[in-house]
Amino acid sequence: MLATFVPAVGWSQDTPDYYRQNCMNCHTIGGGRLTGPDLKDVGKRRDAEWLIGFMQNPKAVVDSGDAYAAKLVEESRGVVMPIAPGMTRYRAEQIIKLIEAESKLEKSQFQGVQISNKPFTEQDRIHGREIFLGRQKLKKGGTACNACHSMHDLAALGGGRLGPDLTRVYERLKGRKALSAWLMAPATETMQPVFKNHPLEAEEIHALAAYFEASASQTEADASVNRIAFLMMGLAVAGAIVFLFDALWKGRFYGVRRPLLEAGVSAVHLGHKSTPASTPSTLAAATGESNSPRGHS
Amino acid sequence: MQVRSQVSMVFHLDKCIGCHTCSVACKNVWTDRKGAEYMWWNNVETKPGTGYPTKWEDQEKYQGGFETNGDGKLHIKSTSKTKVVPNIFHHPNMPSMDDYYEPWTYDYQNLFNAPEGSDQPTAEPISMIDGEKIDVQSGPNWDDDLGGSPIYAENDPNLEGLTEQQRLQLSSVERLVFFYLPRICNHCLNPCCVASCPSGALYKRGEDGIVLIDQKKCRAWRSCVSACPYKKTYFNWFTGKSEKCILCFPRLETGQAPACFHSCVGRIRYLGVLLYDAEKMEEVAKLPDDELVEGQRSMILDPFDPEVIAEAKKNGISDGVIEAAQDSPVYQFVMKWKIALPPHIEYRTLPMLFYVPPMSPVQASKPEDTITHNSDNLFHDIDDSRVPMKFLANLFGAGHEGPVRYALAKQKAVRWHRRAETVGDIDRETADRMLREANCTREEAEEIYKLTALCTFEDRFVIPPMHREQAIEMMKEPHEHREEVGFGFVGGPRRGL
Repeated sequence: MLATFVPAVGWSQDTPDYYRQNCMNCHTIGGGRLTGPDLKDVGKRRDAEWLIGFMQNPKAVVDSGDAYAAKLVEESRGVVMPIAPGMTRYRAEQIIKLIEAESKLEKSQFQGVQISNKPFTEQDRIHGREIFLGRQKLKKGGTACNACHSMHDLAALGGGRLGPDLTRVYERLKGRKALSAWLMAPATETMQPVFKNHPLEAEEIHALAAYFEASASQTEADASVNRIAFLMMGLAVAGAIVFLFDALWKGRFYGVRRPLLEAGVSAVHLGHKSTPASTPSTLAAATGESNSPRGHS
Repeated sequence: MQVRSQVSMVFHLDKCIGCHTCSVACKNVWTDRKGAEYMWWNNVETKPGTGYPTKWEDQEKYQGGFETNGDGKLHIKSTSKTKVVPNIFHHPNMPSMDDYYEPWTYDYQNLFNAPEGSDQPTAEPISMIDGEKIDVQSGPNWDDDLGGSPIYAENDPNLEGLTEQQRLQLSSVERLVFFYLPRICNHCLNPCCVASCPSGALYKRGEDGIVLIDQKKCRAWRSCVSACPYKKTYFNWFTGKSEKCILCFPRLETGQAPACFHSCVGRIRYLGVLLYDAEKMEEVAKLPDDELVEGQRSMILDPFDPEVIAEAKKNGISDGVIEAAQDSPVYQFVMKWKIALPPHIEYRTLPMLFYVPPMSPVQASKPEDTITHNSDNLFHDIDDSRVPMKFLANLFGAGHEGPVRYALAKQKAVRWHRRAETVGDIDRETADRMLREANCTREEAEEIYKLTALCTFEDRFVIPPMHREQAIEMMKEPHEHREEVGFGFVGGPRRGL
């Protein structure tokens, strides 16, 4: 099929492959926005020079204060486009040509996976939870969600703390479409390398979305109960460790001079020792009372 | 035979007047720095007393030194390879600041700056740790001259094994007695501090046996602090490294006696080289308590023995050092006359600082209202001395009286002999009988008398040539080194790696 395009527009042969590897995670052509915007007719929105500059170093363009770039970052929830490996001016020109050609088609090959509109069932929610907990392995070998994220309905130790709590993620990402798009190609620095080569399958995304949709109806209180349980458990474990150490070092050193002094003073005051040297003055010298100019201040 | 040389010391306790000049000399030279305020590399303790840090001799608490527990091996009491890990955050036998003392100074500026008032301004004590005003509770010789006896003197660990009567006698009127015990690092043959260090920062110098802490290698484990039974390594809280007596090696290397030796008013200190056989070390350190004193002597070699000299030369000990060993006053006291004894050799570190045990006045009793002395003789029987023999034995004989009795008898005999010679109120025959009983001859008595009473600087301090050029040669080109030295205190102790 590719062969039919090549003579018509004239980009080099490996450009669609390059696009597939580096761009498709975040962009569709005519399929709506994922992490990045839909690139259909992008050439009409910005001129080629701007696009080439942006592709070669997106961060520099954003940092330069470009208003359009700033808007893009805002729309993608703060994610700045990374520089694709092997990006050159020539490569950027090729990609623009590819997008232009694809934009003209009724249905581009890069339209992306269609997000299903099937209604969520209880079955889906249970399946989603299994996937989240890692009881059901991800088909492409991705890491289970709870390695880095926690949820409202996990046991006391909860999930990982590297990523945010996902109880209300459905609400935060504003619905099913954006959430599913995110799951298709997670774009944060931490998640991208993990899932780049192990993407989620459509039915897995469907199940997870069902699970997140249900959890979003949890009230704030439910989530905070979990946090308090975790804190209490931490305190209990810390207390147990302190008592364990106390028991382990029962025979430890408690100081020598002070016990000596206390034992000596009480013995003299009780009259247990009555040697001639035990006069009050020597005792005072021993305890330092006489050397205390501010003794009672 | 594995001959090594050791700069060793003798402190003649009979001559110590407890003036603390040694401590002050040392403090001024070495420990007058932030973080080192509480360090007394040299200190003078009153005995009976608990010393510094408080009750350092109580190894039940501090767990210093080595022990042999039946398996035929020496073990460090305070630490081991397995104990390092569980004790990584908290060493259970470490003395706390309270067992030393919180160093303080006085707010002298207040004397000048205080606003006018109806009373005289005073200089209040201020902590040298946090600068706040403190209520001074203890100091480095809080129990000096029996200060606070009911608490300190009566808890001296050396009183163990004394009868109730002997204990009472120590604090009774006309029976009260004390003597001084100046202490520095013993530069032991089998140093527990060196053995305990997990970083390998401590070492015993090959050429003279001085034990040192490498300030660049020290990682603040403080194992040496708890391992040293004499508590003579100190942790500098400011630099985060441990420090200890260096036997003034920069002075020794230039032919001067260490500062505390040099400044000693009572001239109690002697310094000289001993040659010893390092092969016997382990075997000797494992001997039962009553054989330790003799065992340590068996390690020390006769510097006149041709075989010893040949072996010494084979080990790279120079002629100058061998000559110094032959002139060593320490060899005379320890080996020839056997009147100097190691302190607490039962800690099995084989200390190389020896003490001549002190004579003490005759006991008195008070049968009725008048006080009578138990003997009319000025040089009475040593068993009538006010310091009980058992007390000295606990300090210098690992609890066994034999070596202490021998040393005291000989010292007494020398006094009788000199009395017969100079005053003449004792007849010669009695004096000679005393000498015989003490295993001493007239010639030996004269020698002891001379080195005790008429000794010059050169007699007391026989400092061997240190041959630093040879030691430097191993690391560096000596000429290059010569160009670099002498530009101040570049390698001073400081925090960091």
